[in-house]
Amino acid sequence: MSTSRILLLDADTERASQLQAVLGFIDYSPEVQDLDPFELPQAKPREYLAVVLGRLSAEQRDASRRWLKADPQHAPLLMLPELHGETLGFDQADVWSLDYPIRAPQLTEILRRVSVQQLDAQATPQASGPTGNTLAIRRVRKMIAQVAAFDTTVLVTGESGTGKEVVARAIHESSGRRDKPFVAVNCGAIPSELLESELFGHEKGAFTGAITSRQGRFEMAEGGTLFLDEIGDMSLPMQVKILRVLQERTYERVGSNTSRQCDVRIIAATHRNLELRIHEGAFREDLFYRLNVFPIEMPALRDRLEDLPLLITEISDELREFGRGDVRFAPETIHALRSYVWPGNVRELANLVERLAVLHPNSTVDVHDLPERYRPKSVRLAQQQEEAADLAPNLRLSDELSEFSERLPDEGLDLKTHMAEIEQTLIRQALEQAGGVVSQAAQLLRLRRTTLVEKLRKYDLQRQQVQS
Amino acid sequence: MDKIRTVVVDDHVDFRRLAQVLLEEVDGVELLGLGADGEEAIHLCERLRPDLLIMDLSMPRMGGIQATRLIKAQDDPPLIAIVSIYDDSEHRAHAASAGADAFINKADFLGSVANLIDAIRRGDHVDISNSAA
Repeated sequence: MSTSRILLLDADTERASQLQAVLGFIDYSPEVQDLDPFELPQAKPREYLAVVLGRLSAEQRDASRRWLKADPQHAPLLMLPELHGETLGFDQADVWSLDYPIRAPQLTEILRRVSVQQLDAQATPQASGPTGNTLAIRRVRKMIAQVAAFDTTVLVTGESGTGKEVVARAIHESSGRRDKPFVAVNCGAIPSELLESELFGHEKGAFTGAITSRQGRFEMAEGGTLFLDEIGDMSLPMQVKILRVLQERTYERVGSNTSRQCDVRIIAATHRNLELRIHEGAFREDLFYRLNVFPIEMPALRDRLEDLPLLITEISDELREFGRGDVRFAPETIHALRSYVWPGNVRELANLVERLAVLHPNSTVDVHDLPERYRPKSVRLAQQQEEAADLAPNLRLSDELSEFSERLPDEGLDLKTHMAEIEQTLIRQALEQAGGVVSQAAQLLRLRRTTLVEKLRKYDLQRQQVQS
Repeated sequence: MDKIRTVVVDDHVDFRRLAQVLLEEVDGVELLGLGADGEEAIHLCERLRPDLLIMDLSMPRMGGIQATRLIKAQDDPPLIAIVSIYDDSEHRAHAASAGADAFINKADFLGSVANLIDAIRRGDHVDISNSAA
């Protein structure tokens, strides 16, 4: 979620307020929790970037631990000196030791790394495997099951957003390496001059700015799986280095002569046509054959539109679980989405659904709520006409206004209230004329029915009340 | 050229004030709105349709990276510049893959925003891989 909230649980109030001041100064949103009386925050543990734990009574410590444990996605813990060396039963990877008095470089480096972890987790597909019932997806699932148990290198192809990482994770999760790390690198998003140190790590002083030595992604993935996304965008010199790791299972950190052995399964992915890239001289043929041992192609969403309702349900369930509002789709909305071509595939669908959940929480999305490109042409035209009609009553309203109050009263008036009153009067008249039938009243006012319903709700006008 | 219609989103009120003062001084920029988190950014961009959104990376409720993904799903999305106190390859990569157009190191906010606005006004192609830092 890349949040800036940091929770401080520390009975040493002086220290807590010092930490709060420092964190606030360096752009975080620290929250000191009241420990007397002890109460846990309303927010969920996942809503923080980090939780700092200091001096706590046994009882407070247990309560905090239970609160954190109840959320599998809880924020990492920063332990103040009295808790150094303790994990309180949490995963070692989620526990950091924070010195006090504060050492600025240590604090900022921990928070930087915690922020990266959080962004990585957020970018991680939640889905356990490619969802769908179409033949194409069933075939992909079958291939995943076939290859998972072996250490075979896999090449996942398919357009951007089809869910290549979901496939890679599914392979890792069904393999014997599932208890070891799965590390993903987007080779296309990291500048080529930085990619080598990103993948292989570097020694202190290897280049300007390398103030400490650093692990690379290969090292982080030891024993597990390394997912090299967008490998088709990798520079030729880097391709040579990857080829060598695949052949010899060794590499060197940048700035070091010592070779390191590695036990990492490689899954690569690209949206590019690698054979074409070879032809253009942009991709090494020998690397292609090393990677293409077991190719899996993810189908485009437009080729499996029957899966759309299932995917939408899955995405909305996930959003609800993460505390976003419940979002439902009217049948005609789903129908409209089925006639769209989906160049961005499942990722585009997920972004759309999530966006609608933010804009229309706990309501039903109808076709008009969709961004224009998702609406069928006929709906777009009708909507333009309606919008033009929506303006019409306002025009008449202003004519009327100028008739009966040509001159502004000397004491002035509250324009907003005045307009609202005129609007309410006209709505009442329209409803009376329509015998209380909202859709007819909406026609009289050249409004969409939903717009009128909203206005009725806004002004708290009940149909009965209008009729009486 | 028309003014660059801009929205600024940051959870710290002092920073929003600073940005407001700064941007009101810049010729060719019209400040349309200010927001405090990613969800507000989504609502503001849907309603105001700005040309440029300058947004903090870490904010409560919803951070800038996630909001970028969702704002880029709207019709005619704005250019998005992510502002961050962390400036490293990982944070830049996340901003890029979410669809951000520029990355600004908060420590050099003034200079970077000025460069970015100059680039937009010159009609340069704004791309995160060569954005000012």
